[in-house]
Amino acid sequence: MTAMPIEDVAIDVSTDRPWITLVWNDPINLMTYVTYVFQTYFGYDKPKAELLMLDVHEKGRAVVSSGTREEMERDVAAMHSYGLWATLQKDD
Amino acid sequence: MFKSGLGGKITLKLDDAEQGVLSQLFEQMAELLNDSEIETSSDPLAKMLNMSGSTQISDDPALARLFPDGYSDDEHASADFRRFTEQDLRAQKITALATVRTTLDSWTGKSTVSSQQAQDWLKALNDLRLVLGTRLEISDEVETDFDLDEPGIHLYNYLTYLQGTLIDSLT
Repeated sequence: MTAMPIEDVAIDVSTDRPWITLVWNDPINLMTYVTYVFQTYFGYDKPKAELLMLDVHEKGRAVVSSGTREEMERDVAAMHSYGLWATLQKDD
Repeated sequence: MFKSGLGGKITLKLDDAEQGVLSQLFEQMAELLNDSEIETSSDPLAKMLNMSGSTQISDDPALARLFPDGYSDDEHASADFRRFTEQDLRAQKITALATVRTTLDSWTGKSTVSSQQAQDWLKALNDLRLVLGTRLEISDEVETDFDLDEPGIHLYNYLTYLQGTLIDSLT
């Protein structure tokens, strides 16, 4: 088996897509609802949306998208419109 | 409850008691959102330019949950983000709420919900759960800490059930 060139990927991500949207865990939003929002807004397929939702639930937060600062402000505003607790920050 | 039928059509069925309770709860939501708007819109020019949003997160935990900060580590950026997005976010919430209240006001026991109306119901129900859940101080240890004699908990559980039927109908 060949290992993924993780370092190259990481460098690529940090230079091209320097901002990230984080969704934080909260005790009220339903797991099925959070999955539905990830599928509907980001267009992620169900397995990916569920993995992200579980990350939020178990680790307390997950990176759900990355891109320019303007793009991430749009994503965070959209998450707020669904009632998800989201923030953006520079990816470092 | 919500149910999906032939051709992906979603129907909503409520009895009189459910309709009454939901009407009351959504009316209170409308009051909460309208009151929070009056607080923040004083300058008509800024309002016209869509810049009159406040820059501070609300002291009311429920409103703080509906209108959270955009940045967790940058107060200044958070204030700017709020100034430019909060008015629009509030308008979206008020629009969704208006859809739901129109359906409930002209209630005949059963209604077909369009896909746009379903999205409005989904968001408005979720906002209502966020406000009620915050007021009830719902935490992750929900099951063990629940006081089942508390009427708010019954309402919260009912809303959770209703939202669950809507998500099932949409997926």
